Amino acid sequence: MPEIGDEAFEFLLARAGLKLTDEQKAELQTVYSGIAEMAQRVRKPRGRMAEPAHIYDFAEEDLA
Amino acid sequence: MSGAVPTIAEAARLIAARQLSPVELTRACIERVHKLDDQLHAFVHLTEERALADARTAEAAIMANGPKGPLHGIPIGLKDIVDTKGIPTTCQSKFLQDNIPETDAACAEKLAAAGTVLMGKTTTHEFADGGPSFDLPAPPARNPWNTEHFTAGSSSGTGAGVAAGLILGGIGTDTGGSIRGPAALCGIAGIKPTYGLVSRAGVAPAAFSLDHIGPMAWTAEDCALMLQALAGHDQRDPASASRPILNYTAQLGAGIRGLKIGVIHHFHETDHKVSEGTQRGITAAIGTFRDLGAEIREVQLSPLQDWNACGSLISITERAAAYEEWARTRLGDFSERLRSRLMLGAFVTGVDYVQATRRRRELRAELQAAMRGLDVVLTATQPSEAARIDAVPKWDLFAAPNFTMPFNVAGYPAISVCAGFGAGGLPVAIQLAGKPFQEPTLFRIADAFEKATPFRDRRSPLVAA
Repeated sequence: MPEIGDEAFEFLLARAGLKLTDEQKAELQTVYSGIAEMAQRVRKPRGRMAEPAHIYDFAEEDLA
Repeated sequence: MSGAVPTIAEAARLIAARQLSPVELTRACIERVHKLDDQLHAFVHLTEERALADARTAEAAIMANGPKGPLHGIPIGLKDIVDTKGIPTTCQSKFLQDNIPETDAACAEKLAAAGTVLMGKTTTHEFADGGPSFDLPAPPARNPWNTEHFTAGSSSGTGAGVAAGLILGGIGTDTGGSIRGPAALCGIAGIKPTYGLVSRAGVAPAAFSLDHIGPMAWTAEDCALMLQALAGHDQRDPASASRPILNYTAQLGAGIRGLKIGVIHHFHETDHKVSEGTQRGITAAIGTFRDLGAEIREVQLSPLQDWNACGSLISITERAAAYEEWARTRLGDFSERLRSRLMLGAFVTGVDYVQATRRRRELRAELQAAMRGLDVVLTATQPSEAARIDAVPKWDLFAAPNFTMPFNVAGYPAISVCAGFGAGGLPVAIQLAGKPFQEPTLFRIADAFEKATPFRDRRSPLVAA
């Protein structure tokens, strides 16, 4: 399970501008691994040319 | 009629024949609200006077010139993240308790133009995410089939209100399943249309690129009637699609012989195994479709977990961006559950977000390829009957992947319809997803299913009493 150290955790919170109580921090730290797993899951060997989705339109092949 | 509460289609026919008065219909809905909503909490704000005024106006116009369409004189509710001119729109949040918009959201405007009767603003999770919460100015909605149980969310009040006959239809919004989840657990129909088909203008965002607006009602036919009024391009919404508005009821009754339905077995049998009751409903539904002449095939997609990882990272990040200012300055004023979701935004980097959008492109292409030669795909909407409202895990996001997110990630239309009842007597459902802008086919199949099964004849004990 991916974990996060106290220093990195505090850095991310500070960068996000969030001020949490110690209790909130402790709880949030326990679910970090869930986000880290999701972040791993969306990474695939796709190379540098793969485009992101811009779903504001559907291509004709979507509709066929 | 389907018992004491007519469907929209039934009421429309009776109103057109001058056999049902919109004023009497509205009064009956108001009476049910007074009788039941202390238990259900489906409404955050009941607009009783407005409803009666709308109904009188509709009735006078209908008596003079006939109805302008099937929604004329029909009592509806709007989720409380939908702006309503002169009517409080609180998003169930402490931040907006005094918010009275100066204009209607596009969907509110369109339903008003169709002649609907506005009954009020329906309960939601705070800013459409994170519930059920018990630390907000208004309590969460409860399930009409058993008030100790959850409705799912976040369009929980609309789901409960339709199921209990407080309204005949209503607006929900859906970022990862918030129309289809409550539709499933409350035993009604609800469609998340194709991304861009219904304008988001004037509706509070949850996650911009995943947000959809859509109708919820007792039947698929009723949803089609509502979507007819809601669909269409709107310059105020940058994601609004410039496409022709189709006739959403045109294919109803055409039968489904020869249509091809792909079942994504691994979603609900392996990736997130559903309850026995839900599996029975799905299996029986497949049998019904086969009996009606549809061809059943198997579809294989990436694991449900991949779709949820992609959708959740995008959703968490877009929500954190939308509400960043308040999260930085007044974090304690959010409900505990939404606050927790917003805090997760700190963990998602910009690169994570872009990787999720690149994965989104791949997943969409995968669904597009899988649907070649198919009309719709089928899976579960919810894993089981509704859980007790006090037993919904706070971090359900990480507990198990949901069945609805894939079609938010892809932007494809998807509908939930009732597929029976589980061991606890609460509804179970199936989900059908179609190709972009092919809602008429979805309605055709969902309507055929509803008409071939007895589930639309059964109302919750609360309504029957």
